[in-house]
Amino acid sequence: MNEKSIEKYLPLSESTYYILLALAEPLHGYGVMQKVEAISGGDVKIGPGTLYGAFSKLEEARLIRMVNEEDRRKSYQLTEKGEAVLLAQLRRLEVMVANGARVKEERSA
Amino acid sequence: MESKMIKKVKWFWGWADEKEEAWLGEMAQQGWHLRRLVFPTVYEFERGEPKEVNYRLDYNAIGRKERDNYLQLFADAGWEHVGELSGWQYFRKEARPGEPPEIFTDNESKIEKYKRLLSLLAALLPIYIVTLNSSFDHQFGGFWAVVQVFSLGILILFLVAIFKIFRRIKALKDG
Repeated sequence: MNEKSIEKYLPLSESTYYILLALAEPLHGYGVMQKVEAISGGDVKIGPGTLYGAFSKLEEARLIRMVNEEDRRKSYQLTEKGEAVLLAQLRRLEVMVANGARVKEERSA
Repeated sequence: MESKMIKKVKWFWGWADEKEEAWLGEMAQQGWHLRRLVFPTVYEFERGEPKEVNYRLDYNAIGRKERDNYLQLFADAGWEHVGELSGWQYFRKEARPGEPPEIFTDNESKIEKYKRLLSLLAALLPIYIVTLNSSFDHQFGGFWAVVQVFSLGILILFLVAIFKIFRRIKALKDG
């Protein structure tokens, strides 16, 4: 997996970022909705229309894959590529936060 | 016990789906709940308790394979599927504190919905132009003049619809 094929997916939208984060373990749609709300402390809620569209796009981009279908619910999980994209986004955010905090401190010093 | 029912005839353009959602919500506040949609413009309501209900529309011509999975996702999130009309899916959920009243929670996915609508129109347009073109092979006058004027009217409508949807997408991108 080369860098370029990962970079083209960045930056992730807030919803997409949280959806990928939730799919570190296999989950079906409603499970993702609940987990995203929990991870974000209630700040981020994903609606079914948004989630359905995201699942389609992410599956097509091979960032997630379907692992099970039961009772009319599909479960998905991150692929290796998806995990790499997620980690790359997280790294990028960490760098941005560190740089921002440093500039903020320099200004108030 | 008979339940009262009324029918309303109303037309909403594809880009005015939020107006349609608001109207259905108003009907619910007056105690009229959507029961059935009849092509092309008839809404059947049944009498019930006045309630605050959120109606939300998705444009998605879901195929048979995906249908169960799609509807189950909405059902799990508390959205009742009321009906389907020309690719438009009608959902409703009673308003409750703490319950997000939206099926689309970010602008990106709202834009995707309008893009789906746009691609349907864009796909129909060439077919339409070809048939319009062949109608002009006939001589001007009489029956064919009426057809030509009518066809031109529809073409203009098509273009207006495409323009309005583009505008909707742009407003979402900027907003």
